[in-house]
Amino acid sequence: MKNISLGQYYPGNSVIHRMDPRMKLILSLLYIVCSFLCRNIISFGLLFVSAIVLILLSRIPMSLIMRSIRPILFILAFTVVINIFWTSGETLLFEWKFIHIYLEGVMNAVFMVLRIFVLIVGASLFLTYTTTPIALTDAIEQLFAPLKRIKVPVHEFAMMMTIALRFIPTLIDETDKIMSAQKARGADFTSGSLINRAKALIPILIPLFVSSFRRADELATAMECRCYHGGEGRTRMSILHYRALDFIAILIMITFGVSLVLLNMLGIGYTM
Amino acid sequence: MAEIRLENISYVYSEGTPFEISALDDINVTIKNGSVTGIIGHTGSGKSTLVQMLNGLVKPARGKVMLDGKDIWENPKEIGKIRFRVGLVMQYPEYQLFEETIRADIAFGPKNMGLDSKEIEERVLEAADFVGLDRDLLEKSPFDLSGGQKRRAAIAGIIAMRPEVLVLDEPAAGLDPSGREMIMQSIMNYKKRTGATVVIVSHSMEDMARYCDYLIVLADGKLLMTGKKDEVFGRADELTAVGLDVPQITTMMNLLAGMGIPVNTAVYTIDDALNQIYKLL
Amino acid sequence: MENTKNYFIKTEDLCASYEEDDGRAVQVLSGVSLGIEKGEYVAVLGHNGSGKSTFAKLLNMILLPDSGKIYIDGTDITREDITEKEIYDIRRKIGMVFQNPDNQLVATIVEEDVAFGPENLGIPSAEIRQRVDEALSLVGMSEYARHEPHRLSGGQKQRVAIAGIIAMMPDCMIFDESTAMLDPIGRKEVMDTIDMLRREKGITIINITHHMNEAVRADRVIVLNDGKVYMDGTPEEIFGEPYKLELAGLEVPQCTALIQELSRKGLRLDGECTTPEKCAKLLRNAIGGKKNG
Repeated sequence: MKNISLGQYYPGNSVIHRMDPRMKLILSLLYIVCSFLCRNIISFGLLFVSAIVLILLSRIPMSLIMRSIRPILFILAFTVVINIFWTSGETLLFEWKFIHIYLEGVMNAVFMVLRIFVLIVGASLFLTYTTTPIALTDAIEQLFAPLKRIKVPVHEFAMMMTIALRFIPTLIDETDKIMSAQKARGADFTSGSLINRAKALIPILIPLFVSSFRRADELATAMECRCYHGGEGRTRMSILHYRALDFIAILIMITFGVSLVLLNMLGIGYTM
Repeated sequence: MAEIRLENISYVYSEGTPFEISALDDINVTIKNGSVTGIIGHTGSGKSTLVQMLNGLVKPARGKVMLDGKDIWENPKEIGKIRFRVGLVMQYPEYQLFEETIRADIAFGPKNMGLDSKEIEERVLEAADFVGLDRDLLEKSPFDLSGGQKRRAAIAGIIAMRPEVLVLDEPAAGLDPSGREMIMQSIMNYKKRTGATVVIVSHSMEDMARYCDYLIVLADGKLLMTGKKDEVFGRADELTAVGLDVPQITTMMNLLAGMGIPVNTAVYTIDDALNQIYKLL
Repeated sequence: MENTKNYFIKTEDLCASYEEDDGRAVQVLSGVSLGIEKGEYVAVLGHNGSGKSTFAKLLNMILLPDSGKIYIDGTDITREDITEKEIYDIRRKIGMVFQNPDNQLVATIVEEDVAFGPENLGIPSAEIRQRVDEALSLVGMSEYARHEPHRLSGGQKQRVAIAGIIAMMPDCMIFDESTAMLDPIGRKEVMDTIDMLRREKGITIINITHHMNEAVRADRVIVLNDGKVYMDGTPEEIFGEPYKLELAGLEVPQCTALIQELSRKGLRLDGECTTPEKCAKLLRNAIGGKKNG
């Protein structure tokens, strides 16, 4: 259990790794917007090419990308089925009893799958794969800092995220230990009815809660001892700086979005 | 009552991944029936893994754990029964207390054994006596007890299963001297009255010297030495070479020997040291 | 004020209690009067519940006393009109390292954690960077700066916690049973770090412990029992009275006990006997003396 790593950060030094985490947050949002700008086969084609280029730029192995797609395969399949069988259009491709498949349906299915694929790839490439959770937390805190003025607890939220990230591995370790200890007293977590199995979790959950509260209490004291008093008057050791790379990246992203819109205007093929 | 023999035990963490660590490497050792055996080694020496193999919480990658001559993994479905025969008290066991009362918590193990309520009640009271918990504490919530009392209640939870082998991983860690003393006395009480085999993991060489008959020393997942405690402490230089402590008195006797004074260095209690020094005076 | 200026920490007739769940008040400290000088290395001994942890938490205002006075660096911190700014200043001056190494590290990266204190104090970024690097190198953890705390050993985690305090530039550090959960190697790491802090930085050290072998490393040992100062003196003086210590639920190091036993049997050995080295020297002289005479 010691070796679980949080999130899916893939260490590296690619162009995308080196970008400012705030910019990556913005870029991933823009990229998602871009995927919704596509309307026809050419713009979707460009979108697909861009996703491939991004994967190559980040130097993340393809197998890893596929792994992040796997959990949503069911959703993809569902989307395909819905679109193919329930979209009606003008060009009938296939007919059998009550089943009618139209070209529009097939195109819609392809477009939707592409869109979801790009969504996942975009978010995971810019954020989870190339940015450490702590950098992401910093980015959220600094990007949303202006919201503090309208009383949004941005600092508190970021601090909570940091502490959660810090303690998840500790608590996983602890769960492991408590399970072993209860197994040593003959507890059985694997057999019996569903209700019995749920009941068997009580000897794990109660000690886990108790210890979490104890930890929280001790951590709070330790933080107080280190003069923590909320975000007010607090400075940071590492301040994020945008660099030329970040500005180039956002320019490319905007150009990309504009070209998608322009490509939609070419009346080629089916338009979604 | 029971003897445990470890035959060619090996264990590897995260086998087949880049994180692969060999935790135990070809361990052969016997824990004698009715003995008090101490296991010494650094954090990461593999002793916690070894201890969890004794009751089948961890399955060795290679090798056999023999309890009274029978492989405990012969029938993996029956491994639960082994855990009642080999009771394991893990580190900081007070953190596993969960019931509303101490009485109910001590009864958890016996209940899992499928005993009837009369038998359970009898065992709870017996276990509480062994660890010196007052009867009126039994109705209290585990969370209202002092640190030392909680620890003893947790140990009672294992003792109530009447294990033939009682294994304890750092039973006295973090307690003050009197708390430590009470824990060690509870364990010795159980041993004396039932004749059970006892295995103790501890960093306190003074405790090891005082309570154990045999010692097993692990270093980097390998068996460094094993034998009667005077044999092991007699090799103090080998122990200190791998960064392990020896009892303070043993260190002192070794220093004296180094100064050219003819003393036996296999000494680990104050009384033995006194005898040696009297002879010289 | 006259009698406070010589001491860095001074308490007068300090009393503290806490309330049980059933509303019953439990007296923890009943009249503790102490003075600790700047640069002193003090070990505080006492069995569980002797009030030693409470005493520590009173000094940096995590807890408040029922009555009595506490002066830190000449400032009365028990007065009514103490400002928030003064409280943070006290906490900066008196850093604390706790027992459980896991429950005092806040950040997911070692150097970010060390920066936590200075960040709270509002120190400019460049200076925080400098302090963090210095603190980590002082405790010998520079190469772990970008590591995740949960992958470190117990002793390493405690050294990171110490660096986190050092980066706040304290005058005094309190170790509240900071070695209790560590193995011998971790314990040695922390104890050696404490010695080094004292030597290199002249920081006042208060080490709360129940390991007698740690207490002998201090200049002065204070034994608390039933909420009162039970003994106060050099390690030699304190461990010279093993029976009195036993009454307080404590024990003496093996070597000290050996020498005590010998002198009870009529062999008078004068000198320090708190460590194996000192003890061996004493015995050699005694044995050698006998042989020559």
